[in-house]
Amino acid sequence: MATLNKEAAAQPVRAVQIGRSRLGRILLWVAVVVAIVWVLYPFVWAVITSFKTQREALEPTIIPFLQFQPSMENWSAELGLGARETTLALGNSITISIGATTLATVLGTLTGYALARFRYGIGNRNIVSWVLSQRFLPPVATLIPFFLVLQRLQLIDTVPGLILVNTTFTLPFAILIMRDFFADFPDEIEEAALVDGANPLQIFLRVALPLATPAITAAAIICFAFAWNEYLFASVIAPKDAKPYTFLVASTSTVRGVHFGYLATRMLIAITLPVVLSLFVQRYIVRGLSLGAVKG
Amino acid sequence: MYKKSRARYFFLLPGVFWILTFTLFPLIFSLYLSFTNANMRNFTRATWNFVGFENYASIGSDLRVGETVVTSVYLTVGSLLVTLILGTFMAWLFNHDIPGLRIFRSILTMPLFAAPIALGFMGLILFNETSGSINSIIRGLGGTGVRWMTDSWSARTAVLILDAWQWTPFVFVIILAAMQSIPEELYEAARLDTGSGWAVFRSITFPLIAPALGTVALLRLVETFKILDIPFSMLGGGPGSATQTYSYYVYLTGLRSFNMGYASSLAYILVIIAIIISTIYFWRVRARFE
Repeated sequence: MATLNKEAAAQPVRAVQIGRSRLGRILLWVAVVVAIVWVLYPFVWAVITSFKTQREALEPTIIPFLQFQPSMENWSAELGLGARETTLALGNSITISIGATTLATVLGTLTGYALARFRYGIGNRNIVSWVLSQRFLPPVATLIPFFLVLQRLQLIDTVPGLILVNTTFTLPFAILIMRDFFADFPDEIEEAALVDGANPLQIFLRVALPLATPAITAAAIICFAFAWNEYLFASVIAPKDAKPYTFLVASTSTVRGVHFGYLATRMLIAITLPVVLSLFVQRYIVRGLSLGAVKG
Repeated sequence: MYKKSRARYFFLLPGVFWILTFTLFPLIFSLYLSFTNANMRNFTRATWNFVGFENYASIGSDLRVGETVVTSVYLTVGSLLVTLILGTFMAWLFNHDIPGLRIFRSILTMPLFAAPIALGFMGLILFNETSGSINSIIRGLGGTGVRWMTDSWSARTAVLILDAWQWTPFVFVIILAAMQSIPEELYEAARLDTGSGWAVFRSITFPLIAPALGTVALLRLVETFKILDIPFSMLGGGPGSATQTYSYYVYLTGLRSFNMGYASSLAYILVIIAIIISTIYFWRVRARFE
């Protein structure tokens, strides 16, 4: 739209509207600022609250040093020495998320490549729709069977149990992102390699895979964020030794009562990693999250 | 030749096999459980006997179902309306010639990746009745504080606002992408005919983003109906059981009371709704996947 507005401004016909348009620009910018504030306000408020002691957290003060004395109390209680529970849970979260991300990305890249490059009797779009429809299933419906099966397999409260669960839920995203990438990517180089006598596996490993690095990274980041944020299954399957950080966070209020500063600290630790990583996958957000329905 | 190479199964099958094992099998298992009285009253191992349609028959007389459905429908419809309207408005705003659009867009999508269970705590801090900043703002503007934590409908509304806050950016990015794919000539022609921005929006922009809006609405409909994390961490389903959603109730029935057979039948109602909506969804978008 950028070019449209520039062209419009250049046309003499538009000249009469400049006065109105200037007011329009001001209103536009006001609205943009309001939108940004609306999104950032809760984050900023949480950051401020995390540096307050319990007594100060009950006051609606905003400016540090002037209105309240910032304190590291909450942060050191959560991340300092002796915060063994936190370290354990964060470690679990990282292991689970990386494990699930690796599995989902490997399987997703293979399947995504398959759906973009080959033809199947069932119909490729039927397979894609089926894969993506998994995202529509309510998690509570598979929660009980998962619990019972993992119990039989003695995988309750283990990291592998949660890796398995999270791989299952993130796999559709990985398949979709990789399928879309390969479908949009011309296969001429691969055709040329085929003519040169390479077999499909060699073509995949030596030609397609290196080109797909950006898409693989994006798929991995999105899978990582979803695995990191998962709470429901963790609360049922891994309530003790293998508990991830989301579960630890959820049990905060019962342990310490409502301690706002501390809550804000834990909340920020829980959300920071996926939120920051998301800044690197902007190009893939629209497609990934709309399950391929909208090209971003 | 290449497209039909035998190697194609090597690429496809691992992923498909994984989904069959870990999604389809649990779903069939849970359908089976919904016809049993599966429970885990001794807290170690589940036992079950076949009971036919007994579970499904008792859903009708379960008074808790009605209340949780009301909560879920209120949250779903409310959040859907708020996110669609605000998201479209934001997309329209940012579809103007705004420098630094990429940075703004990145900032605006941040809430999408925040763990909902943690956002519940954000809600706890912001909506606190005495010290929360939202009531401070309302009082500052001359109003009286809202009883977000103790009044049923206010608490449901607080959850709704939080969910809408998280998902408005989702509608925003998708509708923005849809708006940016509208050919510029259409706008130019329309602007020559009419000076009013609203008329251009109504006659050009809206009809062209309508398919994307429909898609987003379907996606959000299913996702919001599953909502559980935010009410769980923010209010523990309270006050009373006001913010217990349908999914939340299934969870409590199956994994807190360990009444697993009945919970599976409750969950299966949800599965059927999800299958219907996903069929509509993929019927609409499947041409994209050829």
